[in-house]
Amino acid sequence: MPTRPTRTKPQAEEQRPSEQRPPEQHRSEDDPRIMLDREITADLYAPIPPYPTQTEREAEFYTRGDGEMFINIGPHHPATHGVLRLVLKLSGEQIVDVDPVLGYLHRGVEKICENSDYYHVIDQVDPLEYVSSLFQEWAAVLSFEQLMDVEVPRRAEYIRVLSGELLRVASHTLYMGFLALDLGGLTPILYSFIERDEIMEMLAALTGARMLFNYFRIGGVNGDLNHEFMSRLGDWMSRAAKQTEANAGLLNENEIFVRRTRGVGVMDRQMALRFGVTGGNLRAAGVPFDIRRAHPYSVYPELDFNIPTRDEGDSLARYLIRLDEVRESIKIIDQCLHNMPDGPVMARLPRLLRPRPGRAWGACEGPRGMLGVYTISDGSDQPFRFRIHDPSFMNLETVPSLLPGNLLADTMAIVASLDPVLGGIDK
Amino acid sequence: MTFAARTWGRMSLTARFTAILLPLAVLLAVGTVVGIVFILPPTMDFLGANLPLVRFAVAVVGILVLTIPTAFVLIYMELKVIARMNLRVGPNRIGPWGAAMSLVHGFKVLTKEDFAPTGADLTVFTLAPVVTFLASVMTLLVIPFAPGLFGQDLNIGVLYFFAMGGLSVLGLLMAGWASFNKYSLLGGLRSAAQIVSYEIPLTISVVGVIILAGTMSMNALVLKQSGSALDWFAFKQPLAVLIFFIAATAEANRTPFDMTEADSEIVAGFATEYSGMRFGFFFFAEYVNVFIVSALLVTLFFGGWTAPFDWPWPYNLNWLDASGIGILWLPIALAVLVIATDILGAAIWLLGGRSWSAPAAFGLGLLIAGAGVTAAAGLACFIAFDWVQGIFWFMAKTYVFVFTFVWMRGTLPRVRVDQLMGFAWKWLLPASLLNLFVTAAAVIILNQPATPR
Amino acid sequence: MDRTLKRRLEARVGSQLRGPIRQRKDQTEIRIQAGDVPDVLRTVHDAVDLRFEILADLAGVDTGEHMQVVYHLWSETSPDWLRIIVDGLSREDPRCPSATFLWTGAEWLEREAYDMFGIVFEGNRDLRRIFMPPDYTSFPLRKDFLLPDDAARSPGEGVRHVERPYAPAIVADDPAAGIRRAPAS
Repeated sequence: MPTRPTRTKPQAEEQRPSEQRPPEQHRSEDDPRIMLDREITADLYAPIPPYPTQTEREAEFYTRGDGEMFINIGPHHPATHGVLRLVLKLSGEQIVDVDPVLGYLHRGVEKICENSDYYHVIDQVDPLEYVSSLFQEWAAVLSFEQLMDVEVPRRAEYIRVLSGELLRVASHTLYMGFLALDLGGLTPILYSFIERDEIMEMLAALTGARMLFNYFRIGGVNGDLNHEFMSRLGDWMSRAAKQTEANAGLLNENEIFVRRTRGVGVMDRQMALRFGVTGGNLRAAGVPFDIRRAHPYSVYPELDFNIPTRDEGDSLARYLIRLDEVRESIKIIDQCLHNMPDGPVMARLPRLLRPRPGRAWGACEGPRGMLGVYTISDGSDQPFRFRIHDPSFMNLETVPSLLPGNLLADTMAIVASLDPVLGGIDK
Repeated sequence: MTFAARTWGRMSLTARFTAILLPLAVLLAVGTVVGIVFILPPTMDFLGANLPLVRFAVAVVGILVLTIPTAFVLIYMELKVIARMNLRVGPNRIGPWGAAMSLVHGFKVLTKEDFAPTGADLTVFTLAPVVTFLASVMTLLVIPFAPGLFGQDLNIGVLYFFAMGGLSVLGLLMAGWASFNKYSLLGGLRSAAQIVSYEIPLTISVVGVIILAGTMSMNALVLKQSGSALDWFAFKQPLAVLIFFIAATAEANRTPFDMTEADSEIVAGFATEYSGMRFGFFFFAEYVNVFIVSALLVTLFFGGWTAPFDWPWPYNLNWLDASGIGILWLPIALAVLVIATDILGAAIWLLGGRSWSAPAAFGLGLLIAGAGVTAAAGLACFIAFDWVQGIFWFMAKTYVFVFTFVWMRGTLPRVRVDQLMGFAWKWLLPASLLNLFVTAAAVIILNQPATPR
Repeated sequence: MDRTLKRRLEARVGSQLRGPIRQRKDQTEIRIQAGDVPDVLRTVHDAVDLRFEILADLAGVDTGEHMQVVYHLWSETSPDWLRIIVDGLSREDPRCPSATFLWTGAEWLEREAYDMFGIVFEGNRDLRRIFMPPDYTSFPLRKDFLLPDDAARSPGEGVRHVERPYAPAIVADDPAAGIRRAPAS
C-alpha cells in the first residue's frame, strides 16, 4: 500500500462536523472523498453554508428571515442550461434573494491558452460557448489579427460573415426551443432541433465538424466553400423564411406562453447598461447597441441590415428580439451569397507566428452579446495573457437583481430568456 | 454435515426435482380432494346465498387487474402520440411498433433498487404511493362500462366518486412531506393546493347534470342519456362540459396544469425521491387518473356506454339456443379457420414465387385467417351481446378524450402556479356557479323537474 | 485612431496619467495608478465629451513583475475602444479600488480577477471566489502557479497522480528559467 501524503490543512479552513472524528473511523478504503452513510446523517442538519461566510453580501444572503428557506436549483438539473447552481432564498413560493454559484464547468481555458500557440488557441477557445462556437474563434482571431497586422482577404471575410450568421440563426433557434422546454412545452424544441440540425450539417460540409468547428484561422478561414455546402445552403435558404415564421408561430400566439413571459423579468435601460449586458438582452431593453454597427468589423459596413430594438425589456421582448434577429440574419446571408467576391480564403502567414510584443482587443457580436478577447503578446509564439470576455457572464449577473419578487416558476422563464451558456460563463 | 445435506448433495438434478415436486404434488392432490369433498359444498352454498358479495369481489378484482393494462396502453399512447407530434417516431424497437415498451417500463420499475432517502419518514414514505393509487382506483367502482357491467350501482355514485378522488390529495401531501426534500415539499404543497382548488368547479359543474337527471347514480345517469346523441347532457350543459374538462385536466395533474411535476423547476415535484415500484405506483396512479377522469366525462356528459345513434338493440343471433347451432359454432369456426389457412397459405406459396417458403406462407395464411375469424367472431359478439356494444362505445369515447389529454400534453406549455390558482378561483368557480344557477332556474321555469329515482 | 479622443482625454484626465496615451488602430490606451481609479473612471464615465458608459471588460493581468487591472470601455462619442491599464500593483498584496460604484456588473468581473490573481478590490461587497471552490487557496492565473504545488492543499488530496506533490520541475529562484516576464512596453 503506497503511503499517502500527509494532509496539510490551510489555516482558513474550518473543521466540518464529520471531520471531528478520528481519521481511521471515517475514511473509506478506496477514496477519502467518499462520505459513508453514518457520517452523512450527522451532517443532515448542517448549517448553510458549511463554511463561514466571507463577505458582506454573502452574510446578507445567508441570514434567513422569518419563514424563509434556502432551496438549491442545483448543478444537476434538467433545465439550467448547463451546470449552474442557483441558491434561492424563498419565502413560500416567492423568491427573496438569489446567489448563483458558478465554476462547475471551469476548465481553465485562459491558462491553457497561455501555453498554446496562436493556432492552438483557436481550437481551445471553441468549447466556451459551444452552442455557437464560431463567434469565440472570431473574437480571438480579430484580436490576433490586430496584434499581427494581418489583412484578411475579402472572400474570407464574406465566408466568415456567412458562417457566422448561419450559426446565429442556429443558436437563436435553439434558444427558442429551450425557452419553450423550460416553460413546459415539449414540442418546439424538437422543431428547433430540426432547423439546427440542417444548419449543423451545412457547417459540417463546410468546416468538417458539426459543433466545435475550429474553422477560422488568423488571416482567413480554413477552407473554401464547397459544392455540398452550397447545395445544402441553397435548399435551406429556399424555405428558411417560411420555416422561421412557422416555428415562431408555434409560440408567439400561445396564450399560456405569452402570459408566462410578458412582464416577467423586466430589465430597463439603466439596469442593462449598469450591468454591462450586451446583445439581444440589451437591445430588448431599448439600447440599440450592436457591435456590428457600433464598432464594425469584417465586412459588416457593406451589408444592409437593421438592428431590432424593443422597449419593454421583459422575457417576451427578449424572445421576440431574437426572432427578429433571425430574420435579419437571413437577409445578411442572402447578401453575402450575392456579393461573394473571388479570391484566396487565407492570408499568407509564417508557420511559426511570433507577433511583436503588444496588446490588442478584439470584439465581435455573438448571439448572446459582445464577445471580447484581450491578448498580450510578449514576442514568443504563445500569448502572454489571453483574456476572454463572455457575454453570458454579464447576462447571468443580472439574475440576482431580476429574480427577487418573482415566483419560483419564473426562475426558469427569466434565466432561460437571458440565454446563458455555462461553457462561456465558466470559461 | 447432516444426513439430509449429504443425501441432497449426492442426488442428481432429476432426483432433486422429484424430491421436491413429488411431495408437493401429493399434498396438492390430497388437498384438492379434501377441498372438493369437504370444503367446496359449504362454500358454494355460502356464495350462492350471497351472490352480490361474489359479484362485488369479482368486480373489484377485475377493476384492480384491469388498471394495469389500461395504464400500459396509456403510457404507450403517450409515448407514441407525443412523439408523432414532435415529428419523431417514438419507441419502435420493442415489440411490433414498440408496443411492448410499457411492459418493459413496468418490469424496469419492479427491478430497481428500493431505497428511501436518509431522514425520510419510512412509514409515510411507503404509504403515500399506495394511498394515491388506491384513491384513484377506488373510483372505478361506480363507473358503468356497459349495461350491467359496473362494480356497484350506488345511488350516490357521483358523490362517492368525488369523495374518493379527493383522497389523492392526502397521498400527495404525504409524499411531499415524507421525502425530506424541499423540492418534494414544494411540489406536494403545490399539488395539494391545485387539486383542492380545482375540485370545487369540478363538482359544481356536475351538479347541473344531477339536477337535470334527478339522480346521482351513474348507471341511471347513463340510462337517461340513452337514445341518440342529442340526448347527451353535453348538449344541454355545454358550459359544464368545458369547465369539467379544464378542471379535470388540473385534477389529473396534466399539462397545462402539471406544475406539480414541472420537471424544469422542481425536478419531479413530490415524486423526486421515489424510485422503483414506489414511483411506479405514482406513475400508474397518474395514468389511471387520466383514464378515470375521461371515463367520468364520458359517463356524465357523453352518454357513457350508449351509442350515438339509435342502434337496433342486440339482435339475437340464436346461437346459444337449443334450436340454433348451439355450441357447435366453435368447431365450425375452427374448421373455417383451418380451411382458410390452407387456401390462403397455398395461394401465397404458389403466387409468391421463390421468396416465400412453405412454413412462412402457411404462417402468414394462419395469421390472416385468424384475424378474419376473430373479426367475424367479434362482430357476432358485438351484434349479439349488448355488453360488448356497451364496452365498445364506452372505450371509444373514453379514448377520444384520453387522446385529447395526451394531445394537450404534447402541445401546450405549463401554466404558472399563481395563474393556475387565479384561474380556478376567479374564472372557473364563478362560471360553474353561473351554470348551476342557470340550470336550476331553467328547470324551474320550464317546469320540468326530473323525477327522482 | 481617434486623435480627438487623445486630446479630450489629455484635457480631462491628463494629470492622472502615468505614461503617454498610446493609440494603435482602433484602440486608445491610458495608464493610471491604483489610487486614481475612482476619479478617472468617474470622469471618463460622466464627462459630457467622453461618456464611456459601456464597460466592455475588466481583466487582471500578471506581468511577472507587477499585477495590472485592465478596463475596456466604449462610448458613442468615439469610434475607438478605450483601454485603461492600472499598473504597478504589487505581487504580494495587489489592491485596487472597485468599479462597482459605477457599474454593478463589475462585481462579478472583479470576483473573477480576485479568484484568478488575488487582486483585492476595495469597495466590492462580494469579493469571494467565483470559479474555484470557496476554500481554495491558490490563484490559478498567476505566473508562479504550479498545479502539483497546489495539490497538497486541495480537498481531494493526493488520490489522482496529478495531485501528488512532486518536486517542481522549475526551480523558482533560478533567474534563467521559470516565470515569464511581460515585455517592457
